[in-house]
Amino acid sequence: MSTRPTAAALGLIACRVCGLVSSRLQTLNAGRCARCASRVQVRAPRSAEHTLAWLLTGVILYIPANLMPVMYTSGVQGGQESTILSGVVSFWQAGSWDIAALIFIASVAVPSTKFIALGLILWTVRRGTLPGRRERTKLYRVVEFIGYWSMLDVAVVALTSTLLQFKTLGSAEPREGIVFFCGVVVTTMIAALSFDPRLIWDGRTRDD
Amino acid sequence: MARPSTAPLICLHCDTAHRPVSPGAAVVVYCSYCGAVLARRHDITATQLLAVTIAAAILFVIANVTSVLDIEFGGVHTEANIWAAALSLDQGWIFCAALALAVTMFVVPMLQIALLLWVLLFASVALRAPGYRHALVLLHHLRPWSMTEVFLLGALVAIVKLSAWVHVIAGEGLWAIGGLTILLAILSRYDSRNWWERVESAGP
Repeated sequence: MSTRPTAAALGLIACRVCGLVSSRLQTLNAGRCARCASRVQVRAPRSAEHTLAWLLTGVILYIPANLMPVMYTSGVQGGQESTILSGVVSFWQAGSWDIAALIFIASVAVPSTKFIALGLILWTVRRGTLPGRRERTKLYRVVEFIGYWSMLDVAVVALTSTLLQFKTLGSAEPREGIVFFCGVVVTTMIAALSFDPRLIWDGRTRDD
Repeated sequence: MARPSTAPLICLHCDTAHRPVSPGAAVVVYCSYCGAVLARRHDITATQLLAVTIAAAILFVIANVTSVLDIEFGGVHTEANIWAAALSLDQGWIFCAALALAVTMFVVPMLQIALLLWVLLFASVALRAPGYRHALVLLHHLRPWSMTEVFLLGALVAIVKLSAWVHVIAGEGLWAIGGLTILLAILSRYDSRNWWERVESAGP
């Protein structure tokens, strides 16, 4: 394909868990890494399919996560339920645009970026697109890096519900939406972790 | 400590084989094709890493026995830390969220610190810890699920959010979590390959 020296061409294979470089033939016959005993394969089996399945689960869970309330607050003016977006809006209206932006990034921008980025990577892998492989590998690392920050809103709801327990001032309780939101974070993280980025570099000529 | 290796460096993100670099040439070596980290220099000794891990263990205990945030209003006092926050979500089937919070912000960081303590205690006296293989494999798989820093940011957002109504006091636990975040970041600079080399070159 190109002059890029691959481990495969040199008859070598690297363990994805501990990084041990060993003879491809021996390791694949044994099926396990000689150092850490993790399974070693040419590519993670059905990696793109697993990623797609987890990603779609995440997209589906993202709908109730946004539509259902994540918190109920009661005070002297009565009680009200808030969703993630209405929480962002109320911070914005209260003048805390910075906190509104932070929650918006963690709860809306990060999951959406993950959906779009992983979707794009899966689509180009399926087509065997060659240009921009370096950039797409970098994009994959960005997805891995930002993924867990979406748990921010879960922590905020939990802390608010713990602290705000006053009869006169008001009280807060969590609502079901937060479970779906946790589900989005966990499934999209598993989606990113099950993806084998080496697939981006394989092109049309998969050697397995 | 650095053993000369003739095996090529193989990028885990694109499978490119690179010529081995001489140890100490650079702090970090990146893949010229995809930009992933290929190797990182052991720029801290095992004993220094052990000190960092012990400090992290102390801060972890402080963070979990003291309160992170306190509120005092009309004679009523409420306080929160990681456990209290997780328990507040334990209502009906919202407990799934409580579980996710407890695992990512308590169980995983605790296991990471405990496993590193075990491995580094032996490495600092030039020994390989019993069961170090399992410990290092587990550490590799735990890493993405460690979310102490998210809890720290969550606590800061909660302060701003609640300050609209009441005076929120930052407890000792908040400072402990702040410190813990920094120490865990130092420890997670090193990837799996680095830990394996470090432990296996430490001794018999």
